[in-house]
Amino acid sequence: MTQPTRPRVPIKAGYFTVPDDPAEPPKLLGTRCDRCGEHYFPRRAICARAECLSENVTDVEMGPRGTLYSYTFVHFPLFGSMNVEHMDGYGVGQVDLPEGPRVQLPLAGKQGDFRIGQTLQAELDTLREDGGRDLVIVRFRPVEEGR
Amino acid sequence: MKDVAVLGVGMYRFGMWADVSNATMAREAGMAALRDAGLSFRDVQAAYVGHIFAPVMAGVRVMKEFGLTGIPVQHVENASATGSAAFREACLAVAAGHYDVVMVLGFDKMTAMIQQSTQGTAPENMEDAILPAAFFALWATRRMHERGMKAEHLARIAAKNFNNGALNPMSQRQADKPVTAEKVLGARMVAWPLTTMMSCPIGDGAACAIVGRADLAKKLRPDRPVVKVVASTLQSERYARGHLFMGPVVGPAPMTVDSSRAVYEESGLGPKDLDLVQVHDAFAIEELEYYELLGLCKAGEAEACIERGEFERGGRVAVSTDGGLIARGHPGGPTGLAQIWETTLQLRGEAGKRQVEGARIGLCHMMGGGSVCVIHILQRD
Repeated sequence: MTQPTRPRVPIKAGYFTVPDDPAEPPKLLGTRCDRCGEHYFPRRAICARAECLSENVTDVEMGPRGTLYSYTFVHFPLFGSMNVEHMDGYGVGQVDLPEGPRVQLPLAGKQGDFRIGQTLQAELDTLREDGGRDLVIVRFRPVEEGR
Repeated sequence: MKDVAVLGVGMYRFGMWADVSNATMAREAGMAALRDAGLSFRDVQAAYVGHIFAPVMAGVRVMKEFGLTGIPVQHVENASATGSAAFREACLAVAAGHYDVVMVLGFDKMTAMIQQSTQGTAPENMEDAILPAAFFALWATRRMHERGMKAEHLARIAAKNFNNGALNPMSQRQADKPVTAEKVLGARMVAWPLTTMMSCPIGDGAACAIVGRADLAKKLRPDRPVVKVVASTLQSERYARGHLFMGPVVGPAPMTVDSSRAVYEESGLGPKDLDLVQVHDAFAIEELEYYELLGLCKAGEAEACIERGEFERGGRVAVSTDGGLIARGHPGGPTGLAQIWETTLQLRGEAGKRQVEGARIGLCHMMGGGSVCVIHILQRD
């Protein structure tokens, strides 16, 4: 795992938390509609349901765990990454969060590690160093059985 | 859609044409369409132009190739469905009585875009991690889980499209011998289970359709059947639980279902009436899903239909007769117009070696990322 010697900054602000404690998993930044209760990722200002369209929404943190809906393994290096782990390719998955949203993000692991329906947990993954800081993206890793 | 016809079609073959400009490709496609219609650019009263990768103003500037006649020129963009969306705007304008003759022109140069992107810009977006191939591979994995689909089914679709493309002189990929499913499966893996041969290539090209009043079609070319545009729809997504807001999103499934219902209702036709269908087969898994979403077969039956060859030329309903995006190519702006080109030739009986015998009715389906679905039904009068 990465040494938390450098400060970590998200590849893009406003999508996930970067906890001070490197052992703590990140959470996804989403929105809850206060009128109908629907949850969204990423954040939005107006509920998307045609029947609702309420502007009364609240920022929430979601995850860090979810269920794998589908997955693939991409046989190309991860764009913009200098991390050797990403040179031979990387997993991508759609993950259903318990709050409702389905998110589409990189996965940690190899093709054979993934199966539909398994539980995953969000983690931060370093793409490259940038001016003394680690640029990080959020991804999901399968949770080992019984944990 | 009442009394709108395709008066003429033209293409500049899709391919890797690094040394050919957008202006040249677009002019040649446009002049071919005008000759096909029996018209001169003097007769064109308006133009709708589509491109994705060329800079702002490119459409208006390229239109100068035909002469500066002062006609309204309007850019239309809707990602992969750009050409289809431009075609729809032209048909609506003719149907509304604004114009008698309208040019629809699509062009793009993906080779130029790739030269730019290799000069190196760091991604600043979470979504850059999700390639289109990965997005559609996620459809494939899910389909395997739910319906027992095998990679072989995707390979059979791709092989069919390669073999159709080999009969189309405008197709980008021209296999010199019949392509087998085994060859498709053995190609380089892009995103499991999708191989390069189950994926559309990058490319350059142009395509043009001249649309106009249906009564003009018979006057201009009394020697051949009139091809009418009998239905058109463009829909964006309705929210449902599980909606994906990030990444190269195309779908969700209900959008194609709703769009196809709209064109079937408008035309009074149904999927059983179709002789040929063109779909947005950027990846083979898409074509498989669209069989069901367009009603060509029942949900869950696509795999069995593929095994029976029902969507091959000579099968129950021929799909991607010109090679589809996988073989004919998918430069972007012109892609939807290539579908109109193919369907028009087929309905006239001018499709040569790949002619679908007695074809009367054809459907053209495109998806634009974001996303939108555009469908047209063309019918021989």
